[in-house]
Amino acid sequence: MSNDEIFAAAYREHYWAVSRYVARRLDGRADEVEEVVAEVFTVAWRRRNDLPSSPLPWLYGVARNCLANAVRGHGRRRRLVDRLGNDDTAHGRHITAGPEADTPGAWVHEALARLSAADQEVLRLTVWEGLAVDEVAVALGCGRRAAAMRLHRARRRLRTEIDRVRPVAAADTHRVKGVGHG
Amino acid sequence: MADELELLRGANPVPPDGPHFGDGPLDHGAERRLERLLRERPQGRPARRPLPVPGRPRLVWGLAATAVVAALALTLVLSGPNTTPAVAAPRPLVVQTGTTAVPLGRLAARAVQAAADGSPRLRKGTHVRSWSMGVSDREPPVTLPEERIVRWRADGSRTELVVATDPGHPGRPVLSDEQGEPRLVGDAHVISDRTYPPSWSDAPPQSRPPNDPARLRAYLTEAQYTRTALTTPQLLDAVQVLLDHWTLGARETATLARLLAGTEGLRPVGQVTDRLGRRGQAYVCDGPGARRMLIMDPATGAVLGLETTFTTAEPEYGVKKGDVMSYSAWLR
Repeated sequence: MSNDEIFAAAYREHYWAVSRYVARRLDGRADEVEEVVAEVFTVAWRRRNDLPSSPLPWLYGVARNCLANAVRGHGRRRRLVDRLGNDDTAHGRHITAGPEADTPGAWVHEALARLSAADQEVLRLTVWEGLAVDEVAVALGCGRRAAAMRLHRARRRLRTEIDRVRPVAAADTHRVKGVGHG
Repeated sequence: MADELELLRGANPVPPDGPHFGDGPLDHGAERRLERLLRERPQGRPARRPLPVPGRPRLVWGLAATAVVAALALTLVLSGPNTTPAVAAPRPLVVQTGTTAVPLGRLAARAVQAAADGSPRLRKGTHVRSWSMGVSDREPPVTLPEERIVRWRADGSRTELVVATDPGHPGRPVLSDEQGEPRLVGDAHVISDRTYPPSWSDAPPQSRPPNDPARLRAYLTEAQYTRTALTTPQLLDAVQVLLDHWTLGARETATLARLLAGTEGLRPVGQVTDRLGRRGQAYVCDGPGARRMLIMDPATGAVLGLETTFTTAEPEYGVKKGDVMSYSAWLR
């Protein structure tokens, strides 16, 4: 197959996985997901000679770059980057304690949001994208050992933050349950 | 208590089997964008070239272009030639004939010497004036001149000021595309003036550049998000990324000069005067579809600018051979 055909096959196979990756980091703003994914595959197309045989982690790496800062430039893309730089949702601070904080997802998100961006990303790649350490290394553009170390440390820090966040939420949950069943 | 990764797995906001973005055939928009990519010229498209935004309505673009021409004509009629808008694409820099081309090795040696006292020092942030061509497959290309100043604070936050201005034509209106379409704005029109909250990253180009040529090459490779060795054109693009994030100190300048001196494919061609009137030594690299010219300070080895020009015409975008695709001039 030519590089163009390989690219087209990767596009068809991984389009939705890349869309999910982007959507998870844009907090479900669906109208912007499509635009960012288009950018990801445009960049991937230009670099299709570099496309590895297992392209998905590499595509996640491109997507990460697109989301972070690579698209300083024109028109809609610039406005998107501006929003990424300023919008609290991009930094996870949109999650505030409220009635929904009783749900497990909310306090886990809160614990995650307390970590550094690098810690968050290695955890999300591992858990939400389901990558193995080798693949995380490709997505992050680092060596396998560095990826394993980052994951180890990030897990430890997530554990700490969960322990900080969970007792309050869990206690509230128990109290609510107790009243409800009492 | 559940494992922290299990808890996180349960909090996945967009699971593969969820209602949105589930695996399956491409939708119409995704198919259309794939076809558009596959129709592009397979070789020679420079990486930094701004591409036409997919799906932009032809009519809107046409009207915007008409408005630009109308505004330009009106300005000429009302104000006379002295206030001609600075909309013309800049001409490529010209190497001065009869000047001595300084080999990069010699320039690197000067840079090392100039860095002996360690000043000036590395500073995070940048001050750059740039001209970049925006192309469309429906309208002639336009050149968008900007000045961008990024300053970082001790708490990790940063300010970014972007204005539309062309130092070659002070006081004249310039083109800007801040609304997604090119239009004339006044000189020094503020495109954006923002303060970003604290952010930290341990990855290039946000992380501190190293003071060793081999490690700097690895840093630039990572900044370009590739694991394969950079070609010389890619290396120059990575240098641009670096300088768009950092104002190099004397030591980093010397490291970069040594790295460039050890890079094949960069030819010294002689002396030029850059768009800010600074004298520099020019080093040229021919890549697929584009020629990159690096301009360096002859005394300190600091990179003053990078110009990229088309080496082949691309008539479907109204681009002629020799047109300037982009130009960046960095200041301290």
